[in-house]
Amino acid sequence: MDIFSDLMMGLSIAITPINLAYLLVGAMVGMIVGVIPGFGPSAGLAILLPLTFGMDPVGAIVMLAAIYYGAMYGGTITSILLNTPGESATVASTFDGYPLAKQGRAGPALVMQAVASFVGGTVGVILITILAPMFSQVSRSFGPPEYFLLAMMGMLTLIVMIGANWKLGVISALIGFALGTVGVDLETGQSRYTFGSAELIGGIYFIPIAIGLFGLGELLYAFYTGMHRTGSGGLVQYDKESRFWPTAQDFISTRWTMVRGSILGFVVGVIPGAGATIASLMAYSTERSLSKNPENFGKGEMAGLVAPETANNAASSGAMIPLLTLGIPGSASTAVLLAAFLLWGLRPGPLFMGQNPELAWGLIASMYLGNMVLLAISIFAIPLFVQIIKVPYRILGPCIVVICALGTFTVHASFVEMWLMVAAGIVGFFMRLYGFSPAALVLALVLGPLAEEALRQTMTISRGSFGIFLDRPASVWIIIVTIALLIILPLIGRIGARAKANKATGH
Amino acid sequence: MTLQTGPITARVKLGVLGMALAAPLAFAGAATAQSYPDAGETLDWTIAFGPGGGNDIMARTIVDILAKYDLYPGEIAVENRAGGSGAVGWGYLFAQDGSGYGISTTSGSFVTTPLQADTPWQPADFTPVALLATDDLVLVVNGSSDIQDIGQFIDYAKANPITIAGTGTVNVDFIVPTLFAQAAGFEFEYVSFNSMADQTTALLSDSVDAMVGNPGEILGLIDSGDLRALVYSGASTPAALGDVPTMGDVGHDIGVSMPRGLILAPNAPAEAQAFWIETMKRVVETPEWAAYIENNTLTPTIVYGEDFRTFLTRTQNGFAEVLRSVGAIQ
Repeated sequence: MDIFSDLMMGLSIAITPINLAYLLVGAMVGMIVGVIPGFGPSAGLAILLPLTFGMDPVGAIVMLAAIYYGAMYGGTITSILLNTPGESATVASTFDGYPLAKQGRAGPALVMQAVASFVGGTVGVILITILAPMFSQVSRSFGPPEYFLLAMMGMLTLIVMIGANWKLGVISALIGFALGTVGVDLETGQSRYTFGSAELIGGIYFIPIAIGLFGLGELLYAFYTGMHRTGSGGLVQYDKESRFWPTAQDFISTRWTMVRGSILGFVVGVIPGAGATIASLMAYSTERSLSKNPENFGKGEMAGLVAPETANNAASSGAMIPLLTLGIPGSASTAVLLAAFLLWGLRPGPLFMGQNPELAWGLIASMYLGNMVLLAISIFAIPLFVQIIKVPYRILGPCIVVICALGTFTVHASFVEMWLMVAAGIVGFFMRLYGFSPAALVLALVLGPLAEEALRQTMTISRGSFGIFLDRPASVWIIIVTIALLIILPLIGRIGARAKANKATGH
Repeated sequence: MTLQTGPITARVKLGVLGMALAAPLAFAGAATAQSYPDAGETLDWTIAFGPGGGNDIMARTIVDILAKYDLYPGEIAVENRAGGSGAVGWGYLFAQDGSGYGISTTSGSFVTTPLQADTPWQPADFTPVALLATDDLVLVVNGSSDIQDIGQFIDYAKANPITIAGTGTVNVDFIVPTLFAQAAGFEFEYVSFNSMADQTTALLSDSVDAMVGNPGEILGLIDSGDLRALVYSGASTPAALGDVPTMGDVGHDIGVSMPRGLILAPNAPAEAQAFWIETMKRVVETPEWAAYIENNTLTPTIVYGEDFRTFLTRTQNGFAEVLRSVGAIQ
């Protein structure tokens, strides 16, 4: 078998001592980078890229890739422990991850996210190995009309996020959409609400808002409820002896969630530009629709953590496909990898894998090893991380402020963004107090500009005709899937619930 | 090597800087009165963008060459001061008025950012050292298209409504096809994307008819036949593009390109400017520089000193005119 011999060749390259050392270093650095809020994989990669100048390309790419998925593993830890997502792809992990930690299940939640990341990452690499050529076709059938529909699909998640009080939820989302309009209008080039500030040309970046709303907002709320006065009491209750490992039930109840999350995440990841964030949101809302007890979502349901985690890791593997087969970076992180390829004088494109088999297959093989290494590192490191929540809140609180500030500042070194983060923190506190939905705000901020740009591009291309959405096969497929998600899944859920109710009354 | 992304100094309120400048100006003047460069002074090298981007790669290539050939006696501190599409980094350099030890590389945003935002500086304010290369664009269609060459493309565009994709609007990606279309006598709808990756995907999925972009990132797709290169906007076609004609070759020269050059702080001492012009003349002769130009498919366009300032002013005026005519800027 061709693929098998290629993979073996790749393994023989990846497994040399020096490359293994690069892999280990990369995985650890990535994990640490991921843990710092604001420092997502792309920021981490960009800052560490100059270190690889002068390295052998294979070793360098192995290390960079390890940093990339290492950061994906690490990014969830603060989502679970501090309600502060490290990057957009782990916003969905706060929805159930943080409630789980508050229930005293931080240990199991962290272990399950590592396992979910491992499953998602590994399934993703297996799919790359087998299906790379086929999926390159998927990534080249997406244009602006499809991106618009995809963003709409992502917005279905908003319905889930809006929560019990729909009026407050809708207001939250509208604030997010409004913030999303700031910056240079892509189509006309005119500045919107930038007030002449060069800082705002690029728009309001979502990281400071998310860190403020979730991290700082949660912190202010904790002080408001007097958590800092509760003596030795930490953030949440935690009993190490009995509660570190997940129960068998955690694995059994989420086994199909992992499978669904991996496949969905991979497919969405393959689409350039959609990436891990949309994948994790879609996985979350799909899982909620399929769940027998959707009312538990958002209150600490293990499937609600596992779904986005498998999906975002599978998506980060999937994003390698357009990079390797077309030379198109599907995400900010793979854009940095592309820059690295160009730096070494390589020519990414459809002929890349054929012309540079050692590099391409060495990279793929190293991803198998990397996922194993990261699972091991995670399991060892989790007991250390869990100690964080045992720190009394009056000590932990100020540390969180520093972490939030540092995380925000490192991304663009911008004071404007620092003030945005602080403002978002205060707004987040009041949103929390009065039952608004910070998650809906952040999602609207991420998806709004995406949808707006794609729609206006589509309308320019079609000269104002909406018929374009029905002319393109890929668009039609997305519409069908969206309708299925919107109508069929809740229906199945309802029938299932009724059957369950009948069964209950029958006994 | 410093990995810090941006120190606090870059964020001083730029509006009040004018007043604060008098003191450092006098100081710098006295310090550089003797021979330049003084090996005791650290050269403050600002990169106005984050690591990994085009500007960063160029700056680090030059610094590596300076070190390798021992062309600069003192210490060089390279810092990425990203933010505001270059406004922050070049604002930092602007604040070093009169110093001979503040230096930076330029790229497209050096011309376009002041058109979009209230930056306290304009490109012509800085002390020009050299224009080293230009970023030029290639016009491509999908490889499955019936259009084989630029002649057929122009004929098709005259007969049919077409769309051309590019990155951003206040950008050379918009200016180049607009000027070319005016010269060749066709009309098109410009579709603006956020990145090269987005627009390439749009072209590959047959959403748009054509696009313009830097050849470097899409050479792989051109080699494989997935994209077909029709015309190049620079003065001479890079070897990697083979026999693709330039816009000048087909009789519609537009004379616009993005400057990649080197600048010093405003009002830098004449000795400093002269030193760097001489130094860059040696840098561009090295094989490392040739490799950089080739790997990044840049057009080597070399202009020194005041001629570079003229080039910047002319480019910016040309941009402003086109952008004003479409209402993108006021």
